[in-house]
Amino acid sequence: MYGGLHSPRSLPSPSALLDLAREFTPRVEARGPTPVLLDLFGLGRVWPTPQVLGRAILAAAQGRRIAAQVALAWPRATGLVLARGRPGLTIVPPGKEAEALAPLPLALLDLDLERSELLARWGLRTIGDLARLPAAGLAERLGPEGLRLRRLARGEDDGLFVPNAAPVAFEMTLELDWPVDGLEPLSFLLARVLEPLCAGLVARGRRAATLTVDLGLVDGSTHRRALRPAAPSGEPRTWRTLVLLDLEAHPPRDAFQAITVRAEPTPARAVQFSLLDPAQPSPERLEETMARLHSWTAGGRGGAAALLDTHRPGAFAVGTFAPGPLTPRAAAPGSPRVALRAFRPPRPARVTVRDGAPAFVAAAGVRGAVVAHAGPWRASGDWWDVAWSREEWDVALLAGGVYRIFRDRLREAWFVEGELD
Amino acid sequence: MSSAATIKSALEELLKARRLSADAPPLRGEDRRGRPLPTGVATIDAMLFGGFPRGQLSEVHGPASSGRTGLVLALLARSTGGGALAAFVDPDDRLDPSSAAAAGVDLARLLWLRGQGIPGQKGLAEAVAAVGTLAGSGLFETVVLDLAGVAEAERRLPGATWIRLQRTVEDAPTALVLLADRHVACGPGGVSLALAPAGPRWSGASGPGRLLSGLGAQATAGRHVLRRADLLLRTFA
Repeated sequence: MYGGLHSPRSLPSPSALLDLAREFTPRVEARGPTPVLLDLFGLGRVWPTPQVLGRAILAAAQGRRIAAQVALAWPRATGLVLARGRPGLTIVPPGKEAEALAPLPLALLDLDLERSELLARWGLRTIGDLARLPAAGLAERLGPEGLRLRRLARGEDDGLFVPNAAPVAFEMTLELDWPVDGLEPLSFLLARVLEPLCAGLVARGRRAATLTVDLGLVDGSTHRRALRPAAPSGEPRTWRTLVLLDLEAHPPRDAFQAITVRAEPTPARAVQFSLLDPAQPSPERLEETMARLHSWTAGGRGGAAALLDTHRPGAFAVGTFAPGPLTPRAAAPGSPRVALRAFRPPRPARVTVRDGAPAFVAAAGVRGAVVAHAGPWRASGDWWDVAWSREEWDVALLAGGVYRIFRDRLREAWFVEGELD
Repeated sequence: MSSAATIKSALEELLKARRLSADAPPLRGEDRRGRPLPTGVATIDAMLFGGFPRGQLSEVHGPASSGRTGLVLALLARSTGGGALAAFVDPDDRLDPSSAAAAGVDLARLLWLRGQGIPGQKGLAEAVAAVGTLAGSGLFETVVLDLAGVAEAERRLPGATWIRLQRTVEDAPTALVLLADRHVACGPGGVSLALAPAGPRWSGASGPGRLLSGLGAQATAGRHVLRRADLLLRTFA
């Protein structure tokens, strides 16, 4: 037996009828918010008669504030048509489908515009009018589609029931007999929860993009942590390490007596290895390593540097370290380059100028007479924002070392930018 | 030779014959510990018999402006340019990303850990712990710990620190390099490369328009038999 469920009014959500139907059976077919078709076979043990079942569905709809129309019938399509055409509850005994459908308008058969106009020109108004037409004449005029419509009108449905896939929730809860405090016992408990969860994900070709861990504390509150690594993973060991490292940095304030782990699934990533490219690092292992270095990478103190598109000296940003595939780059310079060992911030300096050039430099850790110099090289920019203007010199000191110093022309102050090494 | 080894050898010969890469890309699972990491500087690589050894603690040390940072950046450029990952642990936050980029370092493949402002030996101990994590992961081809400019008193960590680091990196295909003002530590198979400044090079006579064109240095390596080489680092091509 099949059940058609339809709402003639607006629904609280697009999946309202689907959720309602799933309260009764997991086998539900829906191509839109309404109508919805339920496969009711096997429900006789809970609801002994169709009347009881029908009233239960209506009551559940009323509880959810849904104006529902329910029709129970043996053919699949008949239940759908009757649910759309009749208010309240309709139950059609076997063999009475044609009689139940006869007075309903033809529009309920979802005809296309051309056929609908054609049948109207023939003087047909109801489903019963179509059902009474001879099969041979209908086939001559409308072809196989005409025969299908006639069978539908007579309640003879040979369509297949195609249920919607039920959503799978990847969630595991473990309730403990007594409260637990500390990360060491948590490590064992996490293994018990994560292994079946990850096995379920992998069996469905999924990985966890995000993992939410809720620890039910003894004071009644919940300590929630959500982890979202750069790469989805289905490895329980990787997730356990990430969760433990995160809880080490953000420990719960009390002992806990329940653990709930919820995974947000994502399709597994297919990686095509190339014979010619260097082997890429394992994303899970990289994620574990970065999690262990959390105290360095938090707050942007660690990661991958990127130069900013500006002439401002020393402008860079530090972003997440997530190396992608190798991209072709210009060859490295043939001979090694002089590098700047920057002082952050630049060290204020007292510079003695003679004949327009620095003669003596004194700053924290840098002091000496200038024996040779190059400069000045003036640069400025960002006049529309935070302006900067400087005069740079490369100086070699008598005490040893070659440094880059500059005079901030806006503040009229000298600084040592760094050591050239 | 086993069939797997025969196939692997044939593949590498094929790659080399097609000139696809001067160093064949590492095959998954391949043990590369026997292949040293070159810096790309011919005189230095010849002196080091190919480059810095993997699975060993090495050091590059010298006073200010001796070219140690430029040489280490050349090593990082070779590593990252070949597609490998590298890490630069920088307790004093001295790395200049634009210098690294100019040296050819692929910044996207260089993990830079900047000092957290923790003064004294505690900050240095945190840096050493981070180096241990990086070396032990086996993901990074080169890991550099920058100790240049760190005060002598702060740099004096327990001797076992370096022994532990050496043990951590022994089983990894990682070259661990200390960058320092003077000798700190070196593993039994590692390289201790000492640089001495040989003075700056200037373009043209003194006066406006003159540029610093480079830094000269003399490199020395070896324990019993010293090998020497001259080095010139340029500021522009």
